[in-house]
Amino acid sequence: MLRRLRNALLMFAAVALSAPVVAKLEAQQPAADTMAFYKGLDLEASGKYKESVPLFRQALHTSAGVNALLGLERVYAELGWADSLVAPLDTLIAADPKEETYRTVQLRTLMTLGRDADLRKAVDKWTHDMPTSSSPYREYSQLLLQKNQAVAADSVLSRAKAALGNTKDLQMEIAQARAAQGAWIESAQAWRQALVTADYLVQAAAYALAPTPMMSRQQLRDVFLAPPIEVGSRRALAELETTWGSPGDGWNALKDLPPDSVSADAWSEFAKRAESEDRWAIARDALESALKWKRTRELSIRAANAAMNSGDPTSALRLAPLSDAGKDSSLAARVYLPLHARALAALGRPAEAERLVAVYDRFLAPGAHNSLTRTIAWGWVRTGDMTRARAALAATGVEGDSSDAAGWLALYDGNLKGARALLRGGTESSPELALALGLIARLKVDSAPAIGKAFLLLARNDTLAAAAQFVLAGDASPPVRSLMLLTAAQLQTAKKNDVAATVLWGRILNDEKDTPEAPQAELEWARLLRNKGDVKGAAAHLEHLILAYPESALVPQARRELELANSSIPPSR
Amino acid sequence: MSALMSVFKSLIAVASRVSRRIGVPVAIVSLSAAPAFAQRLLVPMDDQQQNHLKAYGLTYTAIKAGASAEWLLNYRGGSFLLADTPELRRQAGLAGITIEPIDAGRLTALRAEIAANNMEAVPLEKAPKIAVYTPAGTLPWDDAVTLALKYAGIEYTALYDDEVERGDLSKYDWVHLHHEDFTGQLNKFYLSYRDAPWFIDLLQQNTAAAKRLGFANIPALKKDVAEKIRDFVERGGFLFAMCGATETLELAIAGRNVDIAQSFIDGTPMDPDADRKMDWKKTFAFQNAHLEQSPFVNSMSDIDGHQVNVAGRRQPLGTFTLFNFSAKIDPVPSMLVQNHRAVIGDFFGVTTSFNKAVLKPSVTILASEEGAPWVKYIHGDYGKGTWTYYGGHDPEDPSHGIGNPPTDLSLHKNSPGYRLILNNVLFPAAKKKPLKT
Repeated sequence: MLRRLRNALLMFAAVALSAPVVAKLEAQQPAADTMAFYKGLDLEASGKYKESVPLFRQALHTSAGVNALLGLERVYAELGWADSLVAPLDTLIAADPKEETYRTVQLRTLMTLGRDADLRKAVDKWTHDMPTSSSPYREYSQLLLQKNQAVAADSVLSRAKAALGNTKDLQMEIAQARAAQGAWIESAQAWRQALVTADYLVQAAAYALAPTPMMSRQQLRDVFLAPPIEVGSRRALAELETTWGSPGDGWNALKDLPPDSVSADAWSEFAKRAESEDRWAIARDALESALKWKRTRELSIRAANAAMNSGDPTSALRLAPLSDAGKDSSLAARVYLPLHARALAALGRPAEAERLVAVYDRFLAPGAHNSLTRTIAWGWVRTGDMTRARAALAATGVEGDSSDAAGWLALYDGNLKGARALLRGGTESSPELALALGLIARLKVDSAPAIGKAFLLLARNDTLAAAAQFVLAGDASPPVRSLMLLTAAQLQTAKKNDVAATVLWGRILNDEKDTPEAPQAELEWARLLRNKGDVKGAAAHLEHLILAYPESALVPQARRELELANSSIPPSR
Repeated sequence: MSALMSVFKSLIAVASRVSRRIGVPVAIVSLSAAPAFAQRLLVPMDDQQQNHLKAYGLTYTAIKAGASAEWLLNYRGGSFLLADTPELRRQAGLAGITIEPIDAGRLTALRAEIAANNMEAVPLEKAPKIAVYTPAGTLPWDDAVTLALKYAGIEYTALYDDEVERGDLSKYDWVHLHHEDFTGQLNKFYLSYRDAPWFIDLLQQNTAAAKRLGFANIPALKKDVAEKIRDFVERGGFLFAMCGATETLELAIAGRNVDIAQSFIDGTPMDPDADRKMDWKKTFAFQNAHLEQSPFVNSMSDIDGHQVNVAGRRQPLGTFTLFNFSAKIDPVPSMLVQNHRAVIGDFFGVTTSFNKAVLKPSVTILASEEGAPWVKYIHGDYGKGTWTYYGGHDPEDPSHGIGNPPTDLSLHKNSPGYRLILNNVLFPAAKKKPLKT
């Protein structure tokens, strides 16, 4: 952790050093007295460190003195000549004792050289010359933290408190020192204070506190959640929770923020991370909160898409209503219509989708119409109205006939030849498609109406009827009987009909024991038994799977579940 | 335990006689091996092995069942040669352990290869009775040894202060220590966790145990337990310790008559002259170490090279290298370093490593970090028994912290670091009197 902290600090230092240099360089044209500095900079950039030294030294007493010193520090570091910087620094500090950059470089140099006594003297001199400044304490404690000397850094910060009367400017250093010592709660308290005035430290706080042990995390949460509600601390906690694998808790940290522009930004930012991790329900909630404060088209579309992806088409319709497009029909057709058609199809309201498409038809781009028609056809399939679905597809012409939906329609008709051709080249990806493709590959016949009927029942969400039909279909098609029985067992398990599932698994193991479904049936049976607390029964099935089907791809999983059943590894979290 | 020793001694005696007669070191197995035509199961322990850790459990099962078992030191990563039985094949199949059934011809060739090289076949005769010093009811997941034993399927008994005090150590051949702070200061967790419920509970339980067993305080109880462990080894027991138990056991033995505990635990400060009063004569591994005098520094002494809990002293982790021993002349250290990797990533613990400066001259170094002033893995004889120390907490969790999730060994089934632990579990089954080079 300290190594990471050190790296972070080093990175921070590098940014802090280079930023003003770049800014100044961009803003200024080389003045006559700074020519040496710019020449030195060019030589440094081309790796000619030795040659750049005299030029930087020459520029030390010009208007580019501070930048020249930083250049000198860099090239001396490259050359391993850090000790050559000590004397010029003494001169510079004597000439301008209030220039903090000189002091900071002096501390860094002495630390690099390991001259601890001189370093302490330099700090004392700085605090003596600038008794009300927190800078010497900040720089010194940062250096100590970089060297993993958290206890020493802590004592420097205590000195700061005694000398300055408070440590309000040093909260980040205090937080880092506490974290480095494993005092996670004190660190969290300091971070919270630091975040009040410096909300850009959210990432740094989350990074430093990420290693907090599980046992201390609740106390840490209490620190960040304590009233009053502050955006910075809540954002840091949300980051932490997400890092710890619980974005739901991260959202809990943010959802109570008062609705204002700062909170809205925080919600939108949090949603972005949730979207990137496919946490769609959380993204939907965060975006919905942001929308309540600031309604923008971009936010509402994001929110509606998140809702659709989370399986919540009703919210999708509500979050991005067509009225948001105003009078811009082209916008409505391009952005809102596809979303609404998808949502309506998913809700089993394809007729409404059809009407909507008709309204905006003339505003649709070429190709968009067919895509929407396929969506509508899919909606009809979902409602079980195959005639309307076929009609919708027919309306799209050749392209419609080659779509995924057409493939499914062929399958529902029992037309395996058509389904084979259409579904294999499809764009869809779903468990149902995987099942259908596995089945088609195993069957050599071109027609199987019983199987088609089973899939149609499944599409209509009539699970138990589908399960029964899969069993019947299996009896009619011996080459895929095991797959049909396994599918029926899975449907029965989903409906909590464990006894019916067990009967089906038993049939597979007795009558279809040489099929690929046999080890899978055994694994699923074992899982059911283990979930019901029958560890011995589960272990027996897992052992049989491993020994009877050593070549099965399920063996590694079976071994792991056997170890869990036998408690030879820690329980899964 | 005595039966185990007598088996070993008789083997050594026979081997020595033959060795004298023919003038060269003799592999003990050649005298006690099963008939040459017998088919065996070779359990390779090189990179061919799919589950190194479970292979130890398989071998332990074979020994426990009385089936013939041999440890082929330096042969394909320290392989095992087991009787070919249906049950062992079954167990290997279930666990995914790679086995190679070998016929008489291959067995002869294998023995010839072993005889001609720095290898040895050591018979494993008796499964050691294993005890782990840990409070009753502790889950196995926070101790690398109990994790390994559980995963490999090797039985063990948990015992703690009550059992040690009533003399139960004598019932076991092999004892493991891990977390315990035998100085009685509860790993100085008081500094950071005094208000944590688990620490308050720990303090209460230990204080109650001290009172129940007739001791004034926790340090007094733990020192007495340390003394009983020392006695166990002296009488012929095998001790294997990791993490903070290594360092604090030694401090407790050396500081038996000195107040080495801070006031937060016993109400009185450490004896300011404690360093001078430490008696290192009876310790196993260390001498002349210096105690950490400050109650506010989370360190016990300068034995540990890494000092992980003292931010200003903490040393970064590197790698450690296993030493190569003569399998025929030094079979015990050879057994302890059998591995398919010679260089292993280091890992922190309350005590991570052992400074060379405080090692007794008699200590055998099994692994160290090149160029570092510390060593990682050490072993030695003591009285009639032996001890082994392995620094660090969990070989597969280099920076394990309190409350971190446990290591799932099914994700580390080829762990070279864990193999070292399991070498220690098996070697008492074949304990030989070390013949020093």
